[in-house]
Amino acid sequence: MSVPLQVHRTFLEDAFRRFAQNRLALIGLVLVLLIIFFAVFAHFLAPFSYEKARFDRVLLMPFQHPEHPLGTDEVGRDYLSRLIYGARTSLIVSLSVQGISLLIGLPVGAIAGYFGGKFDYVICRVIDIMTAFPALLFTILIISVLGGGLGTIVIALSLTSWIIIARITRAQVLSLRELEYCIAARSIGASEWRILMRHLLPNAMSPILIAVSFGIPAVIFAEAGLSFLGLGVNDPIASWGKMVGVSNAYIRVYWHLALFPTLAIAITMLGFSFLGDGLRDALDPKQKIQK
Amino acid sequence: MILFAVSVIVFSLMHSVPGGPFDERKGRLPAAAKANILKKYGLDQPVWKQYMNYMSHALRFDFGIPYQRPHTTVAKLIGKSWLITVQVGLTTIFFAFSIGIILGIYAAYHQNTWIDNFVTFISSLGVTVPNFVVAMWLILIFAVHYNWVPMGGWGSSGQCLFGKYFCTDWILPVVAYAIAPMSLVARYTRASVVEVMGEEYVRTARAKGLNESKVMRRHVFRNAQIPMITALGTEIPNLITGSIFIESTFRINGLGKYFVTSTLNRDYPMIMATFLLVALLWGIIYLLTDIAYTLIDPRIRLGGSSIN
Repeated sequence: MSVPLQVHRTFLEDAFRRFAQNRLALIGLVLVLLIIFFAVFAHFLAPFSYEKARFDRVLLMPFQHPEHPLGTDEVGRDYLSRLIYGARTSLIVSLSVQGISLLIGLPVGAIAGYFGGKFDYVICRVIDIMTAFPALLFTILIISVLGGGLGTIVIALSLTSWIIIARITRAQVLSLRELEYCIAARSIGASEWRILMRHLLPNAMSPILIAVSFGIPAVIFAEAGLSFLGLGVNDPIASWGKMVGVSNAYIRVYWHLALFPTLAIAITMLGFSFLGDGLRDALDPKQKIQK
Repeated sequence: MILFAVSVIVFSLMHSVPGGPFDERKGRLPAAAKANILKKYGLDQPVWKQYMNYMSHALRFDFGIPYQRPHTTVAKLIGKSWLITVQVGLTTIFFAFSIGIILGIYAAYHQNTWIDNFVTFISSLGVTVPNFVVAMWLILIFAVHYNWVPMGGWGSSGQCLFGKYFCTDWILPVVAYAIAPMSLVARYTRASVVEVMGEEYVRTARAKGLNESKVMRRHVFRNAQIPMITALGTEIPNLITGSIFIESTFRINGLGKYFVTSTLNRDYPMIMATFLLVALLWGIIYLLTDIAYTLIDPRIRLGGSSIN
């Protein structure tokens, strides 16, 4: 009989092991890495430019022309190239929205949760009002005010998604603030700032990270949806959502216009949500046991 | 309170838009004529006065005249399109919840078999893939390739079950629309049924010789209802935004489609009215969810009034 060795592992090592054992999470990771690869190296991978229209090659079917394996769109742009550049658009929008949300939501939520008072009251009311409403409608409203375009979409989506980060950060800080180690830190004379930065935020990080990992596919969905409705990015820029929206008019004959971008959206969403699920199970094992 | 805040935000946002609905893009209007039009729609007054004026009318369900269709009123237009959206929504909710609950219970009952895995797989697909993507796939397969059902419309195909209801062109929108809530309901149901089945009182019920169907009905299902109501409460508001995509994909003249066209046309009265209506609906649904909790679970009712 061998006695199992007591191996000392840190929390992150533990989380990594849990993640690596999760098959679905690894599939998600591979898909996400693939999409990032396409987005970063779009210049080299795409056979054509995403905006070059050739009116002598309008609406080619897949494999109809040797240079356009996935055909061309309604103004003669290579569809494969536009799909590859679409990955870049999705990732730029989603990463910048989540980045801005973190920049705003993290400090706002932490200060509101830790110091309370009037600031907390105002933030809570803002959160109440924003959650009293479907976020997507609010985004559409802001876009209708500011006009379409890549920058506007990032602003509009950030305005609604920082709320989620702020709410989670606030709740985390609020519940951690009264724990023994905080009281201990305070009793040995640590400054409020030090407690917040060194003790509270690192411990609040897992749920925030999980929220971000679920926020990315949500933003990809929102961008695709807005572009689908015609409220999204402006024309020469390739966006999967917009490609789907345009294809609706040609769907009877030119099925490829609808099929490829929808597949791209679905695969991206699945990849990110598998990854998010995996991260949640790895970082927050308590939640999995409850489930 | 929240309604008030929403209306103020929407109103001030709408009025900070550069460019109004009567911009002189298509040729110049004489100054007097323009002043007249602005006066007719009350756009010459200060913003706060316009707001007060608007709200006092809105409380009497008078939302003004939509700029995009001057020969009708907002209330009439919304009344008409609202009915279609409610039809789409209710049909969808009905199918989504009935099928979702059945799938969830079935999966929970056959826990960790291939049935369970299959349901879990389908529901995780349904939750993640956006409904307009599903809609396009359905159109490609069933409308374009097989040509079994029409591609769009609502009740205009002529082949209906009851008069103007349950037509062939209802099938695709409802299926595309229902997949996401159905998956979510199946997931919640499965989780809560699995949890309740592991409880002591279920084991007790089995131990005292109750037959299986009675155990499921009397003990398991009744206690598993609470998380399902939560799912219902959070899903119905999401259906409102979901309907925007479904209505634009299938060219259904419902509220969601008018919402998009009115944002594109900067039709203030329409936008204001739809927003207020949705905020009101959202509030009512939350209230109803709370009431439903107390009806199902007496413990919450006895537990005090601290449900928020």
